[in-house]
Amino acid sequence: MEKILNKKNLPRWIKGLKAFQVYAPSRDGDIWNYALIENPEDITLDYTSTVLSPKTIVFPQREILLKFGTSNDGELEITETLPQQDPSVIFGVRPCDAKAVFLMDKVFGGDFVDPYYWNRRDQIILVGLTCNTPPSPNCFCLSVDGSPHSKDGLDILMTDLGDRYFMESLTEKGDELFNLGKKLFEKPTAKDIKELAKIQADSEKNLKRQIKNIKKIPSLLKDMFESSYWDEASMSCLRCGICTYLCPTCHCFDMNDEVAVTSPIKGQRVRTWDTCQFPDFTMHSSGHNPRPDKASRLRQRVFHKFYYFPERYKNFQCIGCGRCISKCPVGIDIIQVLDGVSDHGA
Amino acid sequence: MEHNTYLPKLAEIIQIKEEVTGARPIKTFRTRILNSHDFSFRCGQCAMLSVFGKGESMISISSSPLVKDYLQFSILKMGRVTSSLHEMSEGDIIGIRGPYGNGFPIEDWKGKNIIFIGGGIGLAPIWSVLHTALGKKQEYGDLTLIYGARTSQDIVFKDELQELKKEMTVHLSIDVEEPEWEEFVGFVPQNVTDKKPSPENAITITCGPPIMIKFVIKALKDLGFEDRQIYTTVENKMKCGIGKCGRCNIGLHYVCKDGPVYSWAELKNLPQEY
Repeated sequence: MEKILNKKNLPRWIKGLKAFQVYAPSRDGDIWNYALIENPEDITLDYTSTVLSPKTIVFPQREILLKFGTSNDGELEITETLPQQDPSVIFGVRPCDAKAVFLMDKVFGGDFVDPYYWNRRDQIILVGLTCNTPPSPNCFCLSVDGSPHSKDGLDILMTDLGDRYFMESLTEKGDELFNLGKKLFEKPTAKDIKELAKIQADSEKNLKRQIKNIKKIPSLLKDMFESSYWDEASMSCLRCGICTYLCPTCHCFDMNDEVAVTSPIKGQRVRTWDTCQFPDFTMHSSGHNPRPDKASRLRQRVFHKFYYFPERYKNFQCIGCGRCISKCPVGIDIIQVLDGVSDHGA
Repeated sequence: MEHNTYLPKLAEIIQIKEEVTGARPIKTFRTRILNSHDFSFRCGQCAMLSVFGKGESMISISSSPLVKDYLQFSILKMGRVTSSLHEMSEGDIIGIRGPYGNGFPIEDWKGKNIIFIGGGIGLAPIWSVLHTALGKKQEYGDLTLIYGARTSQDIVFKDELQELKKEMTVHLSIDVEEPEWEEFVGFVPQNVTDKKPSPENAITITCGPPIMIKFVIKALKDLGFEDRQIYTTVENKMKCGIGKCGRCNIGLHYVCKDGPVYSWAELKNLPQEY
């Protein structure tokens, strides 16, 4: 379903979404991040990119998996603490960030469905915004089967046509949101459709960066496990893990018990984001560590995203948002790392 | 909503047996799942044990699926969770979730001779498959156990091993000589070479320290065993048990889901990441 929404009607449409919590990019000092919106008039969609992606909403950095305690008659008890997410709409999602949610759906689905993830995910509607110009100088979505107007993971894709948005509903959830603002939408004209095509085509031309020979990367990596290339590529790594924490697709987590009272025992089991860049991620209790150095850990990050994940799910586990490049304190650049892989394999 | 796999079932520790004392103590815990929850598993599978307030640890199940009265775990005191388990008493409550992993393809081994080769605590995962084969003895060929530990004190299941000798061939060893020790002295791979099990119509399962496994495989190859006849188990640090938390992988394989049981034909092609 395709519609046109005049920009001045955006707040009115959002006001009509009474049954939903609304998240949108919000300025937080010098940066943008997603926040709950109280007043629809506050939504501005002229942001570039949020520091954290909507991953923080579908898969929060910290969540309680269960509580344990002791009953009055001294019996140990555990209580399931599944999240209760209110129906929510996330506005202004960059198409790459929505694709990350689409990729994460694969991880938390499959033969073991993760109920914590899906309790939230099922309640969340993603409304995306085409990147008419790249939000970051390090964007490279075209290299990883994405685009500035990609639709994976989105329920609605909005494209800014100047004074109005071209709105494409991609799912039933999207149709539902359209129905809540029926009178506000117009039918697209032939001119609108032509303009949309031009903006979307132009949006691809503005991307400055790309990975060389991306199609060959998985098979090149396959033969590079033992290579000393990883020592070289990881030399400057500070193992801070920001590349993985900010990555919209990184899903690795830790699980730990937090104790409030030791006797009788009372506490909770929490899940938190974790990173393959930390030494203790894989360290056995004996002290033995299968990935004992920076080289093996950078290799794991690259292999997971560009070899293992494509083998498992047919997609790269990278959306080309460039966050890991822009925020790495020592300038490790995934594009350069992969170009190095190509050169190595050449 | 789907079953919540992260939620452990409560289980009571019904028996604790000290197997090994000293610097590397091992205890065997028999547990019973409470509230009549079912816990079916295949031998070679693991369970995630919870000590509430301490966390979780993935442990191989050392009892046979043929035993319905209890689930058994033999545990070396090592990290936070296993150390807490060692301080627990009979009657205490732990959490158990699982089972996880692939297990041994024991159904495919009917009619074959099975040689179990273990070192130290590595007898725990073997114990489950050994007793399953023993419980259906008529379905399998000759059963042989070759097992060793550093010293006679470090041998697990001491009494049971003596009983076992009545039912199958058992070759024990210790690393260095001790008075009163009448069996083989030397490392487990040397004992394998010494006892010369025949590769004909045989499967071997070897579990123990990585260095032992490496040399056992070499010894078996020298005796003419093929890669596909040799099985072992792998361990890596785990949190979720269901291939999502991202840490236990060896290359493409999540050990928690795709392992922990591998034939050497499979494992030798995986990167050295365990």
